Amino acid sequence: MEQVSIQVKNLEFSYNEKPVLKNISFDILKNNFVSILGPNGAGKSTLVNLLSKVLSVSNGEIIIEGQNIKDLNHLEIAKKIAVVPQYSNIGFNFSVYEMILMGRYPYLSRFTGEKPEDFKIVDEVMELTCTSVFKDRKYNELSGGEKQRVIIAQTLAQNSPIIILDEPTSHLDINFQIEFMELFYSLHKKKGKTVIGIFHDINLALQYSEKIMLLKDSSIYRYGDVSDVINRTNIMTVFNSDVYIGKNPFTGKLYVSPNFNLNFKYTDTVKSKSREVKIHVIGGGGAASKILNILHNSGYIISTGVINNLDTDLYTAQQLGITFVSEAPFSPISDVANSRNLELIKNSDFVILPCIEFGNGNFLNLRAAEAAINIGKKLIIIDSSKIDLRDHAEGKATKLYLDIILKGAVVLKSEDEILKALSDIRHNYK
Amino acid sequence: MKTRTAKYFIILLLILAALIIISSAIGSANISIKSTLKTLISIIPKIKSLVPVFEINPQDFKVIFEIRMPRIFMAIITGIALSGSGVIFQGIFKNPMADPYVIGVSAGAAFGATIGLLFTSSIRLVNLSTTSIFAFMGAIGTTFIIYNISKIKGKISILTLLLSGVALSSLLTSIISFLMIFRTHDLTKVYFWIMGSFTNSSWVNFLTVTPIIIIVMIVASFFMRDLNIISLGDERASQLGVQTEKLKQILLVLASVIAAAAVSVSGIIGFVGLITPHLMRIIVGPDHKILYPTAAISGGIILLFSDTLARTILSPREIPVGIITSIIGVPFFIYLLIKSKKQVF
Repeated sequence: MEQVSIQVKNLEFSYNEKPVLKNISFDILKNNFVSILGPNGAGKSTLVNLLSKVLSVSNGEIIIEGQNIKDLNHLEIAKKIAVVPQYSNIGFNFSVYEMILMGRYPYLSRFTGEKPEDFKIVDEVMELTCTSVFKDRKYNELSGGEKQRVIIAQTLAQNSPIIILDEPTSHLDINFQIEFMELFYSLHKKKGKTVIGIFHDINLALQYSEKIMLLKDSSIYRYGDVSDVINRTNIMTVFNSDVYIGKNPFTGKLYVSPNFNLNFKYTDTVKSKSREVKIHVIGGGGAASKILNILHNSGYIISTGVINNLDTDLYTAQQLGITFVSEAPFSPISDVANSRNLELIKNSDFVILPCIEFGNGNFLNLRAAEAAINIGKKLIIIDSSKIDLRDHAEGKATKLYLDIILKGAVVLKSEDEILKALSDIRHNYK
Repeated sequence: MKTRTAKYFIILLLILAALIIISSAIGSANISIKSTLKTLISIIPKIKSLVPVFEINPQDFKVIFEIRMPRIFMAIITGIALSGSGVIFQGIFKNPMADPYVIGVSAGAAFGATIGLLFTSSIRLVNLSTTSIFAFMGAIGTTFIIYNISKIKGKISILTLLLSGVALSSLLTSIISFLMIFRTHDLTKVYFWIMGSFTNSSWVNFLTVTPIIIIVMIVASFFMRDLNIISLGDERASQLGVQTEKLKQILLVLASVIAAAAVSVSGIIGFVGLITPHLMRIIVGPDHKILYPTAAISGGIILLFSDTLARTILSPREIPVGIITSIIGVPFFIYLLIKSKKQVF
């Protein structure tokens, strides 16, 4: 059976009668790497302060390695839990060595002081954190990254089974962020430390965590494995922001990227009017993704097709919840898919043909564009690179493409013009 | 680290010993250094046989051991107390401007002493013990009130502590001024007491106050590692296992008792408790385990030096030692401020 490192039961906390944490219950298993995410004010820091007994528990229970936190004094807690805060300047300018040695405080007797073992541990953590080279320098004279190293070394000198990261990297450059996170990750993997981190940088958390806890409005919104917790809906609910969730192909870890609204000036006015307008975007090869996002943010009703499975466009459509027609990966468009695509085109008011590369496999998508214009739909073509360079069907695509343009398609140079073009066309209709 | 501490300690003790000899040789009674040395040697066991008894002038002996020596040791122990408690206060408050008087010890002592000087019957024969007892009670009482004002839900608010210290101090100062309107003929006495002086030092005084100071200071010395960590900030100290609130309260009480004991016998001598910790921090670094004992001894040296000046430069007239410490201390303090503008501590 897996051992529980920290167990929290019905934890509540208020500052001046304003609830900061409500009904918090969770278990953190031994040797887990858990990240706590949530917007400012969600209660992350309060939770950390309660776990490290900087604040005392008033309602509910915190059990650390089987012992109630109320029965443990600060010294005993400091042996079990070490907190890595953000570095800050200190009033008295201690040397680096003196600072790190302070991490041994919980183990020292008031009357005898440091033992050889304490110096040995300090040497070890200095080795681990690359601080021994500047151990005689004054702390306040170090750079930010070096100060953070010293704070990390001080924390590691506590030699505790549980390490809490209180945003130790959020103000550092990416090289330090990676260096420190790798360090904690290796301690977690090699020495079996339980690591609990609160982060502002969701991506950093996702690269290293095994479990994620999302806090929202003083409560736990979701807690579980990364893949179960991190999806677009949950991030939107908790952070109130639209994001794209991708997978780093090197590490297989999820990452989050903002889906910012490229045409924000249109959104408010256009959105309400857009509701009844249906647009079909012919997709494939990632060329449609940006358009889908722009149109989605502007409130249009969108469909897309035909897109092969595993294609970026398909992933985008899934993330945005857009109706799509798909085809098996690397297969030519089948008649079934094609007729479904034509069906969607027939039901829409506008059809958009993004700057797609054409070959024999997806030639039917170009035919679908032609069909659209033939049945009288307004067709908008994004022509940001020359068609002959995108034609991998021996000139067949170029010929058809030019035909389609001659039949009266609206040609735009870039996706960014699309909202303006749509509103112009609709205006002319009226 | 131990050897470094020992090195500083030996150097400081040698300076102190030299200063004791020099100080005991100078004064309004004209005794040569040679006779002083002979007199001093005559009381040291084992080597006292080096000096033939007939070479000791009984008059010199009396001046040195009954007038100068009590005063010298009084100055030393007061300097030790002020500087030691200054280190503790600066550590707790994490503030370079903190000194032993920051939470009302001085105003309380002055108030108590004023009451003692004005209203006890033996004013004429100023019985220093009466004044001292009143001053000690005033100092401890004031600190107690301020401490309780600042204690909110079991936690000490440093800001409230400083503010209520300032407020109560000015209230007490006003009361002292008010009392003196009615007793103008006692004004000089009160004024001299407030300025601080070792004129009335005696072995009795010294032996009464020294055990209190030494014992409390030794107790406090076991908390210097904690004080190091507290200076990193309360939250960090807590994370490293320090019971911040409890220790701050213990140290506040200990430091206040040390300061009150010193003030009650010497009056209010400024700047020693403020400057010496700064000076020693520059020399030995911020580690309180080293800073505390070395700053204490240095406080003794500085105050003995100041008092020797106080009683000799305008001899036979005497300047209150508080004036000397301020005259030496203020320019030095300003120099420190300018020199270390970038990092005040």
